[in-house]
Amino acid sequence: MPGFDFSNYNRNAALHARGVPLPKATSTGTTIVGCIFDGGVVIAADTRATSGPIVADKNCEKLHYISPNIWCAGAGTAADTEFTTALISSQLELHSLSTGRKPRVVTCMTLLKQHLFRYQGHIGAYLVVAGVDPTGTHLFTVHAHGSTDKLPYVTMGSGSLAAMSVFETQWKPKMTQDEAVELCSQAIQSGIFNDLGSGSNVDVAVITGEKTVLKRGYVRPNERSQKLKSYIFPKGTTAVLNEKIIRKEDLGNYVSVHELSTTEEGGDKMEVDT
Amino acid sequence: MSSPFSINGGAAVAMVGKDCVAIACDLRLGLQALTVSNNFPKIFQYGDVFLGLTGLATDVSTVSDLFRYKVNMYRLREERDIAPRTFANLVSSSLYEKRFGPYFVSPVVAGLDPKTGVPFICGFDSIGCIDFAKDFIVSGTATEQLFGMCESLWEPDMSPDELFETISQSLLNAVDRDALSGWGAHVYIIEKDKVTKRLLKGRQD
Amino acid sequence: MADRYSFSLTTFSPSGKLVQIEYALNAVNQGVTALGIKATNGIVLATEKKSSSPLADPSSLSKISLITPNIGMVYSGMGPDYRVLVDRARKVSHTGYKRIYNEYPPTRILVQDVARVMQEATQSGGVRPYGVSLLIAGWDEGILPEEEEGSAKTEVVITGEDGEKKKVSGKTGGILKGGPMLYQVDPSGSYFPWKATAIGKSATTAKTFLEKRYAEGLELEDAVHIALLTLKETIEGEMNGETIEIGIVGPPADHLLGVEGVEGAKGPRFRKLTPQEIEDYLTNL
Repeated sequence: MPGFDFSNYNRNAALHARGVPLPKATSTGTTIVGCIFDGGVVIAADTRATSGPIVADKNCEKLHYISPNIWCAGAGTAADTEFTTALISSQLELHSLSTGRKPRVVTCMTLLKQHLFRYQGHIGAYLVVAGVDPTGTHLFTVHAHGSTDKLPYVTMGSGSLAAMSVFETQWKPKMTQDEAVELCSQAIQSGIFNDLGSGSNVDVAVITGEKTVLKRGYVRPNERSQKLKSYIFPKGTTAVLNEKIIRKEDLGNYVSVHELSTTEEGGDKMEVDT
Repeated sequence: MSSPFSINGGAAVAMVGKDCVAIACDLRLGLQALTVSNNFPKIFQYGDVFLGLTGLATDVSTVSDLFRYKVNMYRLREERDIAPRTFANLVSSSLYEKRFGPYFVSPVVAGLDPKTGVPFICGFDSIGCIDFAKDFIVSGTATEQLFGMCESLWEPDMSPDELFETISQSLLNAVDRDALSGWGAHVYIIEKDKVTKRLLKGRQD
Repeated sequence: MADRYSFSLTTFSPSGKLVQIEYALNAVNQGVTALGIKATNGIVLATEKKSSSPLADPSSLSKISLITPNIGMVYSGMGPDYRVLVDRARKVSHTGYKRIYNEYPPTRILVQDVARVMQEATQSGGVRPYGVSLLIAGWDEGILPEEEEGSAKTEVVITGEDGEKKKVSGKTGGILKGGPMLYQVDPSGSYFPWKATAIGKSATTAKTFLEKRYAEGLELEDAVHIALLTLKETIEGEMNGETIEIGIVGPPADHLLGVEGVEGAKGPRFRKLTPQEIEDYLTNL
């Protein structure tokens, strides 16, 4: 992304000055967490996306791919987390290709914080960065203004307090992989049930030196119960004033294909590739 | 002054059926409470992909023209039609480019994957965050009503005829409870070998 | 500003030739031979890794490069120019495509982008043309040539004016062409699709050999075999895992993905063979 296009900025700022409210962006109210264990790191997230009080997406993805061994959990403005992680993922891939080395978590974290600091918090991405690289296992948080933290267990988003309460009561050093996955899952569920901005399912990513395993819908505590009756309307319920059917096979009536000969007639030949 | 999203009014919705998708919109164009036109469609066809645009009418026109240009350029460059998922990502990146001066639109994309024929729908916020949905996508001033209608009427694996009735009834009944939307509707049912476009009779008040 | 006064070094001779481009092609024709063969299920790129001195460390040298997970590239000509083009190709595949469509460019689009970079060097001020020819091999998702035949699923029929039904060919658009793609790009910026070809010092000999050995319906394993036989015809030094470089575009290598549980994720199709794998092919030659 070479940069943003501000061509509509003055129009929108003028409207805003006259009292027009700013557009509502989809935000990931969100609970996201991360926790280091013996041999790797786990990150987890809920799957609710909100637009004001409306649940915009009941099963969105908040765990973002950076590289096979580095993943990000995102909170804040959904578009910002999506595009910021995609941009840094792209930069890291090119960097990794030209250096011939695996990308490092600190590199990712540094690129993210420099990008976010440059935009002074206007890019509303709050991220948990986790990964395993040749230098070891790492877990960071990155805030929209560009500050970072390095901790053995972290939470972010509107459900961070609910999730942190679980970590502060149950976390212990040197956990096994299964213990860490379970603890993260519990922390997310505490966000899902106690924070209105978080909901639906638990997504988990387990990163070890060997590989990353993404567990989409690791826990689904809010499955919709089956409808007992069908509301399907009989055919002809809706009054139709006009109907037009376009079949693919009739496209020939709208498009004519003429085979042009390349050799005979048709004006002077052009000299190419002599 | 009111939000730019609710000056002109309008609603759009897309739904998934079995081997088919549907996309529909109302036809109203207003200036706050004054209805200016009852023939302002908000669905645009680019090859086999359909785009629904609600929001500020001036931006609806601008954005629909912009994507017509971008899709035509894609077709010339790549000698193929754009796939719905590719188009969705194009919409997303184009909107995010204007992150700090967005178009006031809420797009909806619907189509069938050209290779597999699998239904694809998705929606966006005004700065390009994609909402991939397996069931339905709503947008416009009747969003809340549409959410309620679709959440109760939609069910998996509907046939094209069932899908038409479901999306039509969802849209018509939603816009009847929104003063800024309505005045007739367009419904497209997209199947592998054909597209059916229907004009619905709606209240004119 | 210096660049405002710089002028193109590539100018027409009175006879209508751009001699700088011909000189660039001369540089290519002195380069180590590289070749590419397209098979039904993949492509092979191969070249000789020649070091000027027995003291050189060959393991640090790499002539075949991955551009995107499904596209690889090899060259003949000037190594430094090639590395610039590799960086540009990788970068443009992201900035000009992946960051817009969230997918990697099809081979032809990438080839055109690289060709544009090379063409610009023949018309810009203050620069010289790139002294390399490239072979770019890639796999495009889409409808494979053999699938196109029988599948009624994707068939589009146009009814002509006389009521006769005609099947739409890929030329008229609307159909995704998939499968293996092999292109050559020259210093002038012109590019050609090939079934099999060679560039560099012994290109003519190699192409004559390929014309004899190439057959329609070739499988990837046969193509690797033919590639090694062709190299053997032209090679000067000894043939072993250290002196030969091979890149293949084959089936998706999911074990190289590094992730599990990601919906729709496919492993890279392009990969370089290890010295050990090359040795294995050589012993079976």
